[in-house]
Amino acid sequence: MDYFILLTVSGIAIGVIYGLIGMGYALIFKATSVVNFAHGEIMMLISYMAFSIASSWTLPFWGLLLVCVFISAIVGLVIERVFIRPMLGQDVFSTVMVTIGLAVMIRAVVVLIWGADPLLLPTDIGDSGVEFGMVFLYTSQLYAIGLLAFCVLGMWVFLRFSRMGVAMRATAARETTALLMGINVTHVYAIAWAIAAVIAGISGVLLGTIYGLGPDLWTQGLRAFPAVILGGLDSVFGAAISGILIGVLENLSEGYIGQGLKEISGFLVILVVLMIRPYGLFGTPEIERV
Amino acid sequence: MLNVNNVQIVYDNVIEAVRDASLSVDEGQIVTLLGSNGAGKSTILKGISGVLYPEEGNIIGGTITLNGESLIGRKPDEIVRSGVVMVPEGRQLFEPLTVEENLMMGGITRSRSGATEALENVFDIFPRVKEKRSTIAGYLSGGEQQMVAIGRALMSSPRLLMLDEPSLGLAPQIIAEIFAAVSDLSKQKNVSVLLVEQNAELALSIASYAYIIENGRVVMDGPPDKLMDNEDVKEFYLGFSESGHRRNMRDVKHYKRRKRWLS
Repeated sequence: MDYFILLTVSGIAIGVIYGLIGMGYALIFKATSVVNFAHGEIMMLISYMAFSIASSWTLPFWGLLLVCVFISAIVGLVIERVFIRPMLGQDVFSTVMVTIGLAVMIRAVVVLIWGADPLLLPTDIGDSGVEFGMVFLYTSQLYAIGLLAFCVLGMWVFLRFSRMGVAMRATAARETTALLMGINVTHVYAIAWAIAAVIAGISGVLLGTIYGLGPDLWTQGLRAFPAVILGGLDSVFGAAISGILIGVLENLSEGYIGQGLKEISGFLVILVVLMIRPYGLFGTPEIERV
Repeated sequence: MLNVNNVQIVYDNVIEAVRDASLSVDEGQIVTLLGSNGAGKSTILKGISGVLYPEEGNIIGGTITLNGESLIGRKPDEIVRSGVVMVPEGRQLFEPLTVEENLMMGGITRSRSGATEALENVFDIFPRVKEKRSTIAGYLSGGEQQMVAIGRALMSSPRLLMLDEPSLGLAPQIIAEIFAAVSDLSKQKNVSVLLVEQNAELALSIASYAYIIENGRVVMDGPPDKLMDNEDVKEFYLGFSESGHRRNMRDVKHYKRRKRWLS
């Protein structure tokens, strides 16, 4: 039982990061119908930028996070403006290919600037942590749980109550009609990219703090992908919850069945999910009157 | 107010959907565009609204002006701001959003307080919409959806409302209700209406001027009573034959008559 709790809790700790990363995928897909394959790379880029900032100035964790949120919003806007907007009106598939190209580019740029050696993101929370019975959690892991909750709540309020958020849902539902009503669709897309990049930035800083930096950090983006499929590609909240599910599942499968299953268990789950509920656990099936 | 002059629209640079279409709508007037499927009516409306580009459509000739200012090349949201808004064919509501959210999106070009005010106006025009304000739009009946679609367009306080086949797939009673509302709107609020319809009889009953479009061209225009007197219109659009009773289809020389219009 203790073993089970231990696995579950550490699964949740990594799962919340999958959830955060997944929210970014889902948001961009929901708003623009593009699967952003560069999401993990954007996250890596920002965590390396965070490393440069943290090693130049000594900032407290929250200060660093705030600066990174700001920077990642700009990164998101720039990427949208330079790489994605010219693809507007083209086939969605072409845009997806652009994101794949972008992913490869960012990976190369990161190695070019920061080198291929693993680095540690220096923050003031370091190795501190809290003990709950026999489970020990790092402060950074607790922050990760809190930040996921915060992002989920923030996104919910944004999509439900702000005009821009409702416009984003409207654009996702019917783009041409959104244009007809005078919604500035390019604006909506840009905001979606900026928000997704901010979420990627938050997850990047957390990953850097908890696990350190390496040129293979982008694979975490891929690892989080099953969460997005499980939740339903267009469900931002589904991605958050499924992230935790996938994290726990990975840990349990490794703990009880065997080494090596961790990497693939998530993908096994999405195989099954896609057969039973092709739109994911929380995705929207087409609304139809009968 | 709105002047469309010799407009030519092509899709994919090769398919000519509209050629030399000219029409005008005056302040507070209801003008209707009649024509069969694929005649180019909806394309003209999309051209005016500036939403041809997602479908690879292009206006390659002619002018579209609103009170003397050209609308061609302007962004859809600027066109909405200038007072021209379109209700697309088949309602096209934002299905996953609630009725109120749908309406508020129609008022996106206005300030929040302006939109809230417009919301009350729409509820006055369509009381039934008010009852359903927090329902998911996709679950409404066809008639209610059409009311929401028109209401959503009205949220921007347009001076020209363009309706693309509002009667499509609706029960006669609902159609009458909607047409009455549109008619009131033009009379009381002085909103101009450009109405695209397949149901010619219905459209001619509320319009003050009508254009008939075939193969992307305006082939005939005039006030409704003049058009209703025309033998061809009677036969092809209103379904009456010359003698007032059914004719043997073998005797009808459609092609000759159509040819006369096109020459």
